Amino acid sequence: MSTEGSTILKIEQLNAGYGAIAAIKGISLQVPKGKVVSIIGANGAGKSTLLKAISGLNADVSGRIVFKDQDILRLPADRIVGLGLSHVAEGRQIFASMTVADNIELGAYLFHRRRKRQVIADGKETVYGMFPILAKRATQIAGTLSGGEQQMLAIARALMARPALLLLDEPSMGLAPLIVRDIFRTIKQLNSTGTTILLVEQNARAALQIADYAYVLETGCIVLQGPARQLLDDPKIKAAYLGVG
Amino acid sequence: MESFAFSHQLLQFMVTGLTVGAIYAMVAIGFNIIYNVTEVLNLAQGEFVMLGGLVMVFIHVSLGLPLVIAFAATVLVVTVVGVLLDRLAIRPVRQPTVMALIIATVAASMIIKGGAMLIWGKNPYDLPAFSGREPIVVGGLVLQSQYLWVIGFLVIIAIALALFFNRTILGKAMRACADNGDAARLVGINVRQMVLLAFGVSAAIGAVAGITLTPIALMDYDRGAMLAIKGFAAAILGGLGSFPGAILGGVILGLIESFGAGFLMSGYKDAYALIVLLLVLFVRPSGILGSMAVARFKRF
Ligand SMILES: Nc1ncnc2c1ncn2[C@@H]1O[C@H](COP(=O)(O)OP(=O)(O)OP(=O)(O)O)[C@@H](O)[C@H]1O
Ligand SMILES: [Mg+2]
Repeated sequence: MSTEGSTILKIEQLNAGYGAIAAIKGISLQVPKGKVVSIIGANGAGKSTLLKAISGLNADVSGRIVFKDQDILRLPADRIVGLGLSHVAEGRQIFASMTVADNIELGAYLFHRRRKRQVIADGKETVYGMFPILAKRATQIAGTLSGGEQQMLAIARALMARPALLLLDEPSMGLAPLIVRDIFRTIKQLNSTGTTILLVEQNARAALQIADYAYVLETGCIVLQGPARQLLDDPKIKAAYLGVG
Repeated sequence: MESFAFSHQLLQFMVTGLTVGAIYAMVAIGFNIIYNVTEVLNLAQGEFVMLGGLVMVFIHVSLGLPLVIAFAATVLVVTVVGVLLDRLAIRPVRQPTVMALIIATVAASMIIKGGAMLIWGKNPYDLPAFSGREPIVVGGLVLQSQYLWVIGFLVIIAIALALFFNRTILGKAMRACADNGDAARLVGINVRQMVLLAFGVSAAIGAVAGITLTPIALMDYDRGAMLAIKGFAAAILGGLGSFPGAILGGVILGLIESFGAGFLMSGYKDAYALIVLLLVLFVRPSGILGSMAVARFKRF
């Protein structure tokens, strides 16, 4: 389908912000199909703003965002997800007052509207297989889940839309190291089954370890990029983000 | 003998209170449906009730269509008004802050009321009771059958809404918008569609309240505001946003009014709702069933 073949997301000269505040300043980046791309950066670097601009939550944008050969810059968020791009937002953002099962169900909202029952059933089987704990907690109110379980639920809900590209905003935030390892293993596994991943993290080491390629964001600009392995060994990265050197 | 007459009177007040309370509950439910999705208080909610009564008078009495058909047609007409309210008054607001939207509903309520006055004039209208005016006597208690219709419709509405919000994907999507608007958009829910749906459903419920109330209390163009205040007081009393709360709040308010008018001063009947409203706001602003925890979950 795509002439560029392997690029699923292409961003050119993107600006995004909040009124007078410019949070993203002329960023260009590419996400190759089937890969894991990480964006690392400190607090306030603009990572979340970038993801919100891609998924349509931030409407204060200019530039170009091409997803699967289609310019999605001005599309509303509820249309973009239908194209195969799901966003697991920062801080999990589950439907806290609803049950786990309802959260999962709503992940497939668009398939419900199109009456694709089989797709929904398959999706449930997949996500409950991937996160058995969610099946056990199906009738529990989502706001009462532990942090790790909530993060799993947020990912599971996003997967119900069958995304080709999954945006993850700090999935490790506030979680114990053991849980973080689980979550990253899940991300790796998702990628190996064909989902392209764009991962935003402050946990630079973990992010670089599973990524193929990475960008470093500082105050709205990309200051460094390269294959993730290479960045792991970069002395500047070591000093600023990995706490060594 | 005297005590029998007294307890008899108590029962009579109770039935009246429950009936009036059921109407307030319907208005309160209408408030909640829109509030949950938008955090807007639709102050035109009472106009839906007024329109329900007067449109029903037109279709059922003036045009002479049979009760069931007139009922359905009236609900449809008022639902369309609700949808138009969203399209013409809510959606075009350029800076949609909650306050701006509430003011838009106030403006809309004045326009609806003015329109009703032009069409129907200032006189009150009557509607035949659904199953005649022959009172039912149950164990010495004299009941208007219409009272039972009002209470029955509240029960039907409550069951229908419980099924809608808990069993259908559209109902769940509406709850999702109320729970977390951004997350709702990220799963593909068109929030504006849900807002439109909320206005439509609220208007339909308002219409049912107006249609069932008119045979008991007549209807004129000017009744909307007072009904909105009573319904709002009921919603606040029960806990804004809570559906069981709306029913509880409506019934309690109806009983307070009924007993207050019977035993204290009937002239102050309408003041009781306002007194209750003020007391709740002073003592427990989250209402009976509204919890602070729920309030914390809500962000829009
Ligand atoms: N809703 C908002 N309104 C105004 N400014 C905002 C808003 N959200 C973020 N900003 C500002 O935009 C800049 C980038 O914020 P952003 O949330 O994208 O950073 P981040 O890299 O995700 O940080 P963190 O690692 O803390 O999540 C910051 O200066 C922030 O203060
Ligand atoms: Mg962030």
